[in-house]
Amino acid sequence: MVLTMFNQLIKNLASLGLLFFLLSNSALAQQTYTLKFATLIPPDTAWVDRIQQWNDELEQQSNGRLQLKIYPGGVMGDEPDVLRKIRSQQLHGAFFTGYGISRIYPPARVLEMPFLFRNIEESDYVRKQIMLEIEAGFEQAGYQLLGWPEVGFLHFFSKLPITSLEELKSRRIWLWQGDPMGEAFAEAAGVSPVPLSIMDVYTQLSAQHGSIDTVYNSPFGALAMQWHSKLSYASNVPMTNAIGSLVVSQRFYNTLPQDLQQLLKTTGKKVAEDINQDSRRDNAKSIELLKQSGIEFSWDWNEAEQQQMLQIRDRAAEILDESGYIPEAHFTRVKNILSDYRDNQPDQ
Amino acid sequence: MNKSLRHLFLLCLLLQLGGCSFAELTVRASMPMIEGGMLAVNREDDLLLAEAAMPANIELMEGMLINAPDHRELRNYAAQAYYGFAYGFIEDQQPQRAAKLYRRGLNHALYNLHDQGLSQAILNGPLTELEQQLAQLGQKSVPALFWAASNWAKWIDHNRNQAEAIAQLPRAVLLMQRVLQLDENFYYAGPHLFFGVYHGSRSPMLGGNFELSEKHFDKARQLNLQPLLIIDLLQAEFLDRQRFDQPAFHARLSKLIQQDVSAATDLALINNIAKRKAQRLLEKEAEWF
Repeated sequence: MVLTMFNQLIKNLASLGLLFFLLSNSALAQQTYTLKFATLIPPDTAWVDRIQQWNDELEQQSNGRLQLKIYPGGVMGDEPDVLRKIRSQQLHGAFFTGYGISRIYPPARVLEMPFLFRNIEESDYVRKQIMLEIEAGFEQAGYQLLGWPEVGFLHFFSKLPITSLEELKSRRIWLWQGDPMGEAFAEAAGVSPVPLSIMDVYTQLSAQHGSIDTVYNSPFGALAMQWHSKLSYASNVPMTNAIGSLVVSQRFYNTLPQDLQQLLKTTGKKVAEDINQDSRRDNAKSIELLKQSGIEFSWDWNEAEQQQMLQIRDRAAEILDESGYIPEAHFTRVKNILSDYRDNQPDQ
Repeated sequence: MNKSLRHLFLLCLLLQLGGCSFAELTVRASMPMIEGGMLAVNREDDLLLAEAAMPANIELMEGMLINAPDHRELRNYAAQAYYGFAYGFIEDQQPQRAAKLYRRGLNHALYNLHDQGLSQAILNGPLTELEQQLAQLGQKSVPALFWAASNWAKWIDHNRNQAEAIAQLPRAVLLMQRVLQLDENFYYAGPHLFFGVYHGSRSPMLGGNFELSEKHFDKARQLNLQPLLIIDLLQAEFLDRQRFDQPAFHARLSKLIQQDVSAATDLALINNIAKRKAQRLLEKEAEWF
């Protein structure tokens, strides 16, 4: 009798346990997640349209369990502000430029070393080879790197002609305040730049006696930020291919069930590739539009200038190694991958 | 030739000598009706009636412009009508259609500006040359400049996903800067509203300037003697949103909706449009903040 009652009790408990298990599983299946995502890119632009499409895809493929809440146009502040908000969990993810990336995993910016890549194919190839290391670096810093959309090749833009290195040195060049990479290059080149927050660039360019007359940006960036309306000249030779990233905090990522983690990663990678295509298209088109606006592109380097620039770059790399910002091993590895790639190109 | 035919012949001769066709004369004679029609629409507080009436007014103006293509005032009214119709009734539901209407409004205003020396080549050429040419324009160019800049900026806003459109923004801004210099009071201090939106709708990183935006909105309030709700609407929609100031956004729009503006009869249409748009913006509050 006692045994029967005990067996019954066990059965009841088991049923209850099963019920509880089913209930909690069902609750889990119904749980919805909202990824609060910020970007400086203005609303309704092609890139934000892509992020909106990403949201649509996430919602559709997760049956409404995962969605983005998008804060475009810098409403959440500049990149350091957004990083602070991610750390305090007010936000969960963002689109960052190299500036924001440098506060997550600085060695990733080895891909922004000036005058490294001759073309987009070289940049794409090297990036693929070191992507796993970069993803691991982001993860260690508490972030998942979902995708790698690029800002594009950066050019110098100026109110005054820039036709030689000496001329460039005489200009009042803006430096993105707090960017160790820019600081290293300025030091290596013997240039005294004017450090300013990116927030102040337009105002200073607009002012009659502003503190800067020369800046750097991608052609589309110069157009989208309206800097081009204050400038007259640009350098033909691009400095570097500026990187961007789609990231989500590891803390948020860890709250997601495995299928949603996977969904976020696969769709994030795809949207970054789409933005990449847009970026390349818009940057190419923007050069023509800038010329129409009256901006004169000039300064094609001769051999001696090219060598001089590479020496400056290598000196800057030493400075960045000494500060531990980009260890020398990373730069050497990238140079070796690039060298192997070039050796295997029939036209090189 | 009988007497009346002789008179008609003489009249036609006189008209031709004056460089004015019979059709043009008719258009000129009809202008008070057009002006009266515009005033009546602006006083309309029934949005359904206004929405139904505006296309007929626009088509009437288009028809008249076929007969009198160089009628400057009529062109400006047409540019204004396209802007008003697209902004008030179309853009919230059909943004792509609105973009086409803004483009048509822009073309009417540009027609006048071409006549005043602002050729297509100058409008599309280097910005410094455009600025120099604009400095030559005076008071009589204000309406065309204002409606060109207003329609142009709206067209750009609806095509922000294209680099070509973004590249045109400084041109629209230069046109409106000239209006600001020539007549800051034009169309309910419209130049100040334009720059309130222009400086307030972008992050400082992208050239926005919140303080300057606020100053322009305040100046527009100061210059308007009657309550113009569109000022609060635009400040909430652009500046409060960009500042991520949800309490200000909510309070400004809620207050606007409650405000009794029935005494401002000439502003009935624009104020009622502002109220309807404010309601729509409040519905987006949870999405934006």
